[in-house]
Amino acid sequence: MADVRERLIECFLSVFPSLERDAVVVASVDATEAWDSLANFSLVTVIEEEFDLQIPSDDLEQLTSFASVEAYLASR
Amino acid sequence: MRFRDALQIAQAPVSDAAERMTVDLLCGFTPDQFRTFLVAQLRTRTADRVIDGRVGLFGDLVGNLERAAVSGAAPFVVVPIEWADLDARLGVRGLGGWSPEALGNIVAGVEAQLVRITSAVERIAATSLLAVSLPTLPLPPVSWLPRIQAGLFEARLRAAVAEATVRLAGIDRVRVVDVQVLDERSPLAERHDVRAELTYGYPYTAAHAAALSGIFATLLDPPAPKKGIITDLDDTFWRGILGEVGVEQVSWDLEHHSQGHGLYQQLLKSLADAGVLIAVASKNDQGRVDEAFRRTDLVMPASQIFPLTANWGPKSASVAGILAAWNVGADSVVFIDDSPLELAEVSAAHPAVTTLHFPKDDTGVVRLLEQLRDLFGKPALSAEDAVRLESLRRGAAVADAMASADPEAFLSSIDPVLTVSFDVAPGNTRPLELINKTNQFNLNGRRLSEPEWIAHLNDPEAFVATIGYRDKFGPLGTIAVVAGHRRGATVQVAHWVMSCRAFSRRIEHATVVLLLERFEAEALQLDVMATARNAPLQEYLQLYRTGEATLAPGFTVTRAQLSSVHPTLYHRIEDLGHG
Repeated sequence: MADVRERLIECFLSVFPSLERDAVVVASVDATEAWDSLANFSLVTVIEEEFDLQIPSDDLEQLTSFASVEAYLASR
Repeated sequence: MRFRDALQIAQAPVSDAAERMTVDLLCGFTPDQFRTFLVAQLRTRTADRVIDGRVGLFGDLVGNLERAAVSGAAPFVVVPIEWADLDARLGVRGLGGWSPEALGNIVAGVEAQLVRITSAVERIAATSLLAVSLPTLPLPPVSWLPRIQAGLFEARLRAAVAEATVRLAGIDRVRVVDVQVLDERSPLAERHDVRAELTYGYPYTAAHAAALSGIFATLLDPPAPKKGIITDLDDTFWRGILGEVGVEQVSWDLEHHSQGHGLYQQLLKSLADAGVLIAVASKNDQGRVDEAFRRTDLVMPASQIFPLTANWGPKSASVAGILAAWNVGADSVVFIDDSPLELAEVSAAHPAVTTLHFPKDDTGVVRLLEQLRDLFGKPALSAEDAVRLESLRRGAAVADAMASADPEAFLSSIDPVLTVSFDVAPGNTRPLELINKTNQFNLNGRRLSEPEWIAHLNDPEAFVATIGYRDKFGPLGTIAVVAGHRRGATVQVAHWVMSCRAFSRRIEHATVVLLLERFEAEALQLDVMATARNAPLQEYLQLYRTGEATLAPGFTVTRAQLSSVHPTLYHRIEDLGHG
């Protein structure tokens, strides 16, 4: 899991380069100003590349924070 | 390139001196992710580069183009066209109906949209360089026919696209993405990201965006084409070892199962006809090679090869001799041999030379031919391409004569004529080509993009002088370009290049005189900078150095210096007019 978390942090940093590393794990749509719909699209693309998966449209809505993405990956 | 890699490249810091490249991305889909790929692809070519520019409105490709045509576009413009831009019913976001009765209307709409698009692109191309792709995504299942059967509807759509491609490809400064190359790099079934299009309005998979943006970047910022090929003979130019099987037994045809070598010769001849220099470096007996080249069934004749070198010395030495005879940099040259050992030996001695292995298998040969087309391809041919080899041969003869005879007597006897024009005709690519590929006699090594060149041509204060040369041995074509501005009694020269084929004829001296007289000026102020390769230019300007003056921007050549610096000039000047 630690490896998944690190890889996920790198994904977030590539889309939100201005975030501090410590701030990534608490990032969310509500708390992160740069996290708009386009950033969400970039994040989904980067995560799909990194973890070699396709996230169905129905699942996109639940990916609203680092924690929710991490939990989603754990469930796959 | 993965999207994450593209993000990192696009976000990498640049220096204060970074080059700025303004690129408009005019499309009908959500542009952000494709723009990231495009920026990354352009920065992989030049890392220290800022890419900026506008994007258009979502869902309005035609409007974006027409507004740019009216209000002005960036120097570089990228236009990815998709079926949904031509009719929303050909995308997955619209629900306009696919009934059989609607198909004729869809075709008519597509034809009309393509006419508007080509018209707008043509207007934008007056001042910008455009790269355009016609629909790259699969057509949705609109027609009632089974998909394996070609129907009139799809055929008419594809015909309309083909017709638009013909029109676009014929416009100066419009470069169209080649469908075949895109198919090689991006399989059709792996291009469309339906979920992303429905959710975000963006239709491409990351792999397709990477492939398409890579082609766009190369079309806008192509690598300099190579200038010459040095080829081996045995088991490369032909099949067989000449010294073992004899002149009659080397082959390059179907009958002898050696067609790959014939195809290779055919490509060499095609390249030679387009101005590429072709030489031979072979470990062989020269007499036997000469005899082989008397065979009349050769596809690539000896007359188009210069120099033709055969000896038993190391090939790196032959390559050195050929580079000297051509007077081109090693980085402009490709060496081809079937022997990995020879390739390694040449590469060790000439690391800048591109070395390519001639493969044993025919499929590999075709891949090699494709690779050579890419290395030597250029947007347009010029008249000079047709005379390059002959003028090179004459240049060698002139240099020999200058070395062995009285130069004054020789130069006065060859009836040299300079043809001078201060007008660059539309579509004349030669001046820009000379500026961008000349290294040795080059004022500062500075290269220009096509949009920068157009801006210079459109500047009412600017001038461009093109200089052609001929003598009793024949024409060399356009061999020099000077560009700059007239400022009072001074001519400011920003670019001055002269082909190395024109050396030893005192054309540089005549050029100085010509500029001073044309503009009735007292001095030329030169934006000179030393580069790693412009020693001939520096050597020439040393003649004008006085006192503490250094070869740096602002270096000045005055009319008063002419009498003390210049040798006798024998050129007759033909003025072709002022634009």
